Amino acid sequence: MLKITNLSTRVVDSDINILDKLDLEINDGEIHAIMGPNGTGKSTLAKTIMGNYQYEVIDGDITFDGKSLLKLSVDERAKLGIFLSMQDPTVIDGVSNSEFIRTAMNSVSGEKTNLYQFIKDMESNMKDLKLDTNMTHRSLNKDFSGGEKKKNEILQLKMLKPKFIILDELDSGLDVDSLKIVCKNINSYIKDNPNTSVLIITHYPRILEYIKPKFVHILKDGNIKMTGDIKLAHDIEKNGYEIVDGKDE
Amino acid sequence: MVKMSNVIYIDGLKDNYVFDLDEDTVIYHFNINKSYKVEINLNEENIRLDYYYNNINYDDNEFKIRINHNKSNTISYVYNHGVNINNNKLHYWVDGFIPKSSNNCNCNQDNQIINIHDGKSKIWPNLLVDNYDVSANHSAYIGKFKESLLFYLMSRGINRHDSYKLLLEGFLLNTDSVDREKIKDFVDEIEKI
Repeated sequence: MLKITNLSTRVVDSDINILDKLDLEINDGEIHAIMGPNGTGKSTLAKTIMGNYQYEVIDGDITFDGKSLLKLSVDERAKLGIFLSMQDPTVIDGVSNSEFIRTAMNSVSGEKTNLYQFIKDMESNMKDLKLDTNMTHRSLNKDFSGGEKKKNEILQLKMLKPKFIILDELDSGLDVDSLKIVCKNINSYIKDNPNTSVLIITHYPRILEYIKPKFVHILKDGNIKMTGDIKLAHDIEKNGYEIVDGKDE
Repeated sequence: MVKMSNVIYIDGLKDNYVFDLDEDTVIYHFNINKSYKVEINLNEENIRLDYYYNNINYDDNEFKIRINHNKSNTISYVYNHGVNINNNKLHYWVDGFIPKSSNNCNCNQDNQIINIHDGKSKIWPNLLVDNYDVSANHSAYIGKFKESLLFYLMSRGINRHDSYKLLLEGFLLNTDSVDREKIKDFVDEIEKI
């Protein structure tokens, strides 16, 4: 599904290099987690896959179902089925949540969404996420709590039905109960859509107790230094990222 | 019990408007390419003003508004949102005045101008306060829509043109309470941007 080859990136209009010859392959239906200390390029990787304007690819390639993403615009990548659940979802005053999601659904599907079905699906998904239905009409992410913002990301995911999901620090801003609800919804989505692939970006292994990855990668200095399974995440929790340096030595 | 506000839609037939208010009031002022001068007097204690000025601009224009908190415990929220289409001048002078005799007033301004091209826009957000017992806020932004907003919308599959349109509508129709039938010309004008 997603293949990253020899990827190097830098911040646009600067000489700050972030990712350095990174390789990663995620097949259909696989769940991968990337862990790493602050400032190692985890969120850069997520944003680069999505085509964020802040980063430029200076070498390598990212392909999705065999097609290079590098020349595609952000919306074209989303239309292929890539979804980035953002670390800090953007507030957009004046654009209502429902108007935004419906416009996005129309764009992704290429046809007008049936209004009755849309309302029904929104209500059902909001109920699953324990979101107040009045959030439908509020400005996008405006005055939402940290937990509501993250739940709203997953609401969009459930409505847009992507094939490849990137969860960028989903657990930040979520209390334990909300994290359980959000993860339950994601797991339910994966169960209903078993070919869906997931890339979880996280500092802490807590979220990996709820969404279980097949592979755990440790990203440091812009490159994947170690790969293992969930035991690696526990090892990191116990001993910190110093074990990566230890391995290098 | 919910306190009902008096609602005024400015017809735009005059260049200058003066309002002497003695009750809670919401004023909608939707303007296509004209200059205006507005003065509002809050003449009773405990009243609140919400003023929505939304402006689509093509030529050199200015908007001057002054809110006089003539009584204590008065509240004002002024939202000035303009879109400057061409490489022209758009100037906002926004004055909130609280005299020494008016205590515990709350005066707020949110001023934003989006330049579609290279418009020469300026905002003067003035808080003229002669009393220590007040709460006053003002903000001013001139520029383009931030790329972070467009990125978020586009990351859900909405193309750049439609994302921009969503942002424009949200910016220029920034209140749910407005009756769109009463500002139909303005709504139609947004479509032309």
